[in-house]
Amino acid sequence: MKNPVISEQDRRRRRSMIVFQIVAYGFLLTMFLIQLHMASVRNW
Amino acid sequence: MTTNTMAAGAGAYDTHQQRSRAAQWRADKWMMVGVFFMGTAVLGLIGLPFFLRGLSLQMRAQKAGFTVRPIMVTLIGYLVAVDSALNSLGWALDLIGNHTLLARVFLMAWGNMFDGGYFWHYNELWIGGASAPGEKAWVVALLPLMFSMRIAAAIAFLQMKRWGQQWLVVTCWFGVIAWAGYVTNMTIFADVRYAGVVFPVVGWWLYDIFYITPFLAIPYLHTVNREIFSD
Repeated sequence: MKNPVISEQDRRRRRSMIVFQIVAYGFLLTMFLIQLHMASVRNW
Repeated sequence: MTTNTMAAGAGAYDTHQQRSRAAQWRADKWMMVGVFFMGTAVLGLIGLPFFLRGLSLQMRAQKAGFTVRPIMVTLIGYLVAVDSALNSLGWALDLIGNHTLLARVFLMAWGNMFDGGYFWHYNELWIGGASAPGEKAWVVALLPLMFSMRIAAAIAFLQMKRWGQQWLVVTCWFGVIAWAGYVTNMTIFADVRYAGVVFPVVGWWLYDIFYITPFLAIPYLHTVNREIFSD
């Protein structure tokens, strides 16, 4: 149910923050997984 | 601030404000001592109890009804200050004090354990310090620009200044770029950074994941009521 107190602008801002978090953490996770894969195939 | 306080007149209001400021300053003194020690990295554990004592004082003051800084502002402000101090100390050692005994112990240990960039051909560039590809450029770009801005912004943010909030937003986004670039650099030159180190990949990530404060603070900074910060 939509909260009438939160304005449309706030809702959009919150949504964009969630998208940003997913992209940012997703990027970090991708880099970590690439490094982990490299560690498994290389003799470090 | 309660209605009773308002009804009691300007004198009571002034007293309330004065006592609130005193309570905040008392808590801040403990937290600043804690952050000072934590910012040195090596003495970090000494600082933690000081910081927690200050935090509990502030929470107690808030419960008692005093007008003190929001807890979230306190946590983000001090966290950013510690993050900037830790990075500044480590990279100032690498950039300026790379031949000192402290750098040779501190950075060599770091290089040996987690990041070969601080071990491999160390001090062999004309500028000294880390020789890993790209590393020095990050040090030069981030230390005098981003981290010094960030520590200034954190202090102003803790003082509830408008420019502190604005500059924390700016430097947090700068932090996102820095992290994205730095981690990509680590991945591209992973053979230099991780070959022969004691704890490759997982060790580095476990240690460095705590520096992701910009990612954590950005949603709050963009959604907080800006009116609580004064000009």
